[in-house]
Amino acid sequence: MIRPTPEQKKQWEQEGYLVFENAIQGDDLKRLQSAFDFWAAECKEEWLDRVEAGEAAATFYDIPNPLEKDPIFIDIIDYPSYYGALMEFTDDDLILLGPQVRTVAPWPVSYTGWHPDVGQSNPLHIKVQIYVNDVAKGSGEFGFVPGSHKPDTGPYKRPLLQESMPGHKTFPGKAGTAIMFNSCGWHTSMDNASDTPRKSIILIYEKRTPGKIGPEQFAAISEHCTTPERRKLFSLAD
Amino acid sequence: MPRIDAHVHVFTKVSPEFPREVSPNWPAEREEPAEKLLGEMDKHQIDQAVLVQIGGTSIEHHSYLLHCLKSYPDRFLGIGLVPPDHPNPTEHMSELADGTGIIGFRLFELGGPRDIFATTDAREFKTHPIWECAAEKDYVLWLYPRSIDAHLLPYLVQAFPQVRVVLNHLGMTPGKGKFTLDEFGRPQIQVSGYNLNMHTTYRLARFENVTVHLSGQYAFSREAYPYQNLAGWHGNLLNDFGIKRLMWATDFPWILEEPGYGELTTIIEKLLPNLSESELADIMGGNAKRFLRFPNRS
Repeated sequence: MIRPTPEQKKQWEQEGYLVFENAIQGDDLKRLQSAFDFWAAECKEEWLDRVEAGEAAATFYDIPNPLEKDPIFIDIIDYPSYYGALMEFTDDDLILLGPQVRTVAPWPVSYTGWHPDVGQSNPLHIKVQIYVNDVAKGSGEFGFVPGSHKPDTGPYKRPLLQESMPGHKTFPGKAGTAIMFNSCGWHTSMDNASDTPRKSIILIYEKRTPGKIGPEQFAAISEHCTTPERRKLFSLAD
Repeated sequence: MPRIDAHVHVFTKVSPEFPREVSPNWPAEREEPAEKLLGEMDKHQIDQAVLVQIGGTSIEHHSYLLHCLKSYPDRFLGIGLVPPDHPNPTEHMSELADGTGIIGFRLFELGGPRDIFATTDAREFKTHPIWECAAEKDYVLWLYPRSIDAHLLPYLVQAFPQVRVVLNHLGMTPGKGKFTLDEFGRPQIQVSGYNLNMHTTYRLARFENVTVHLSGQYAFSREAYPYQNLAGWHGNLLNDFGIKRLMWATDFPWILEEPGYGELTTIIEKLLPNLSESELADIMGGNAKRFLRFPNRS
């Protein structure tokens, strides 16, 4: 586990995000890309049926129950390159809320506007977005307003155009890049005017609140969680 | 400022003069005529309304709508329908709208690929000629697309920035198999608690030619009037589209028995309680008058 440097801790506190370039690389990245592409293709028709039934949005889709589909999706939950920072910022009391293994289609408009996920009263809520393919500028890259996670900033209002958000920063990156951010901060997916879908995985964590996630939530992958640390992360019984 | 009900339906019994198709909700003997609507409107100080065609797409099926528009030219404007497989939709649209008070056409399907990943060129969409015609003749397009078509909209809206677009019924996009009638004969659309249209139709807010109806709450809510569980959706639409691009409507006659026409004339102030008087007036009619170009009442 790699703990954050003093500089990283300072940036986290002040700006609310950290970027880990090459967080996942080599064979692990290939495994991740291969599993992502296989299961995205496998699940696509079912997603389209759900869109037609009005049960899923037409502009992006998530592979259902990814943790049960390939162990690589479990292995990235506590991946060394960013796991130490997650533990540090949550006082070593971290839980996983869930993953979103997401494909976002090119579209004239971003599928989502600027928003925070939670309010200030929520326990520390952290997301890690991992790019599975290269995400160039203008192809649905992550956008964040540095400092917007702080209670004394704002108020912020969602602008009609993504690029009109005051003070925002965008994060194009290579496959394997991980961006960690405080979900109180205002963030979005920028417009994807390219012809390439954005493939990314969004891991959602929180500082533990007893009972928030029951042991049944991730029981299906219990056999892959053999260490006490990992069982705690997945809120599994000892 | 006039108060305008921006989406209603009227129809009469099936007759040689006014032929129409029938359905469980509008059987041959049922009639909800314009005079009944006008009675409700006058009772509740509503000046004008948009009559939206139901009961068929052919020219003949529009007979009663055309009759009402001719009889009450300063009270109503009309929205027509286009047969889905019409070989020459431009001809159909022009014939219906030529000096009749029909200002636009309602579409339920957009005719493009169901898969967003296969969507590239709006010119290949089946309804592209309808949009071209609307652009050329300055018709309004009245949209209530299916869920599977929601992703097609921005390609068309972007291609035709001059076409005025009205998203019906809170910008919702009904899913296949999710439509039923309730005990009052009202359409009921089963929707998920999380509003998926936040990721489709609501994203059209950046296009200034797109407006949204605040209507149809009864069909999506599982609560009784005033449907407080939909207050958040109204707030989102207000935030995204702004005060000048929202239009109040009742969806008469489906709401006559429950909750009643009069109740719906106050729904906006209940679901958006922080509006100023002038903002409320915009939504209750000012925006419809400007956007749809309603005539002054004589």
